[in-house]
Amino acid sequence: MKRKWIGAAVLIMLCTGVLLGAAGCGGKDKPTLRIFNSGEYIEKSLLTKFEKKYDCKIVYETYDSNESMYTKLVSGSEYDILVPSDYMIERLIKEDYLQKIDWDKISNKDALIPALMDKEYEQGEKYSAYSVPYFWGSVGILYDTEVVDEEDLEQGWEILRNKKYAGNIYMYDSERDALMIALKSLGYSMNTENKEELDEAYEWLEKQRNTMDPVYVGDDVIDNMISGNKAMAVVYSGDGALIIADNDKLDFFEPKQGTNLWYDGIVITKYCEETELAHKFLNFLLEEDNALLNDEEIGYSSSVQSVFETMRDENYKGIDAYVPRTDYEKDEVFRYQKPDIKSYCADLWTKVKAQ
Amino acid sequence: MKQFKKLVVPYIIWSAVFVVFPLVLIFLYAVTTGGNSLVNIKFTWDSFQKMAEPIYVSVFLRSLKLGVITTIICLGLGYPLAYMISKCREQVQVILILFITIPMWINTLLRTYAWISILQDNGLLNSLLEWLGFGKLHFMYTDVAVVMGLVCDLLPFMIIPIHTVLTKMDHSLIEAAQDLGADKWQVFGKVIFKMSIPGVLNGVTMVFLLAISAFVIPKLLGGAQYFLIGNLIEDQFLNVGNWNFGSAISIILALAILLIINLMRKVDSDGAGGDEE
Repeated sequence: MKRKWIGAAVLIMLCTGVLLGAAGCGGKDKPTLRIFNSGEYIEKSLLTKFEKKYDCKIVYETYDSNESMYTKLVSGSEYDILVPSDYMIERLIKEDYLQKIDWDKISNKDALIPALMDKEYEQGEKYSAYSVPYFWGSVGILYDTEVVDEEDLEQGWEILRNKKYAGNIYMYDSERDALMIALKSLGYSMNTENKEELDEAYEWLEKQRNTMDPVYVGDDVIDNMISGNKAMAVVYSGDGALIIADNDKLDFFEPKQGTNLWYDGIVITKYCEETELAHKFLNFLLEEDNALLNDEEIGYSSSVQSVFETMRDENYKGIDAYVPRTDYEKDEVFRYQKPDIKSYCADLWTKVKAQ
Repeated sequence: MKQFKKLVVPYIIWSAVFVVFPLVLIFLYAVTTGGNSLVNIKFTWDSFQKMAEPIYVSVFLRSLKLGVITTIICLGLGYPLAYMISKCREQVQVILILFITIPMWINTLLRTYAWISILQDNGLLNSLLEWLGFGKLHFMYTDVAVVMGLVCDLLPFMIIPIHTVLTKMDHSLIEAAQDLGADKWQVFGKVIFKMSIPGVLNGVTMVFLLAISAFVIPKLLGGAQYFLIGNLIEDQFLNVGNWNFGSAISIILALAILLIINLMRKVDSDGAGGDEE
């Protein structure tokens, strides 16, 4: 009898705990937007401004790579708004995580650069059906003009294996970009599904690691290059512009073997119930003042035409990293990889780092 | 008394839900395949076999090596410090132990970022070296930086257990040894150190365990190419998305830790620590 009583007491305690917890989270009087963005990828004051303007609450979280964002999404976390890159948008579309953008609700859509709106990942399939263009750019090499010979730039990506600069290089710690460099350098497509080509790329990176002693970094590359710690770094064009603005000894170039042209978009997930508010948020980010404020903080090439021009002609005048190369036949956009190729690449990159 | 026994029930439920169940899940992931969904799982030892590949074994060995180095340095620095503290007046001891624990009030990540700004090529330390007329040195992304970060982070875990044992020591034994003609070094070696071995073993175990599973400090101070077992697990879960392999590594690491704790216990009961009980 007594045992039962205690058992019941425990059960009640546990249940009330759970209920209280649930009530605590669910007790909302304001509409809430859950935003999951890449780290340092928005001007934070815009969030509070939006909250005030539309009397809502924003729950803001960040991730450090498209892959970790995807893992979190797959493991059951729910968000309303994400900011993935091209290949990840394609993957999320194909795996049915997104809802279509209702462009009628976005009154500022005409401000966007038309070429970005028309970008296709497959014949007839536009990214803009499911995403609002946010920033775009390329990947290139940032170099110290006082240390690196102009002539050596001719080598393109191979300069990253030029022994003259051994111990003086930052590589970007990103599976796809690292393999992209090796594949482009070998003359292959960065979207190859041929395992022999990928193995060759692995050997390229392995040899680079053994002879050049590179340091693999993430966002810390920005501070390190501003302080001028090493002669070269693989960076996204926007980071390049941001760094050059702080350290004018540096310059940026896109290697001749071709590079990754990327496109980041804002998407609304299928879990989103506050679709009206979500669209308002997207529209809000495209307003000229907000987009300019945002871009002054981020430094990437803006998707808003007028902001892009202002930044190009004023803030970043003379910094060509802000204007990514377009219409070069060897440049490519990352495509969705089949799961087996994806895990094959992930293993290769893990092995390069684990050497 | 009998009724009080039943008060254990909530704790049993608690540990079942929050300790046993996750462990079972990890084990389940480790011996199956089929990705992150538990719908189409198949039993396999593949993940464990993968761990036997030379490249992953070398990651494991590298972690062990770093753990051993960190532990030795912590012991070398921590023991004398604990000893000196235990020699002070009691009020002073309280303050000194407080100083030892103050860094632990601050988040590890912040402390590591502080180390970055000290060790950077254009950081505080290098500015100082330059000012003194020495050349600049590279600290960041080297073994030195990683070991320094780990030692700084884990030193309290070595000092506190040793200090506790030293202060609780029976001083009449020391006096007896002195009365019987032991010199300073003999007293220390044969009495004090021997009696403090349980504390040393506790400290060593804690520091070693935390050091081999560290991943944030090595990543920040050593760069992403400083790849340890903790980084491998993090990578498998967060970036690669291969939870099966990640779980298998976690299990192997857990087993290795279990083995080491058992070894330590054995040393403890065989050695001087056994005399106390």
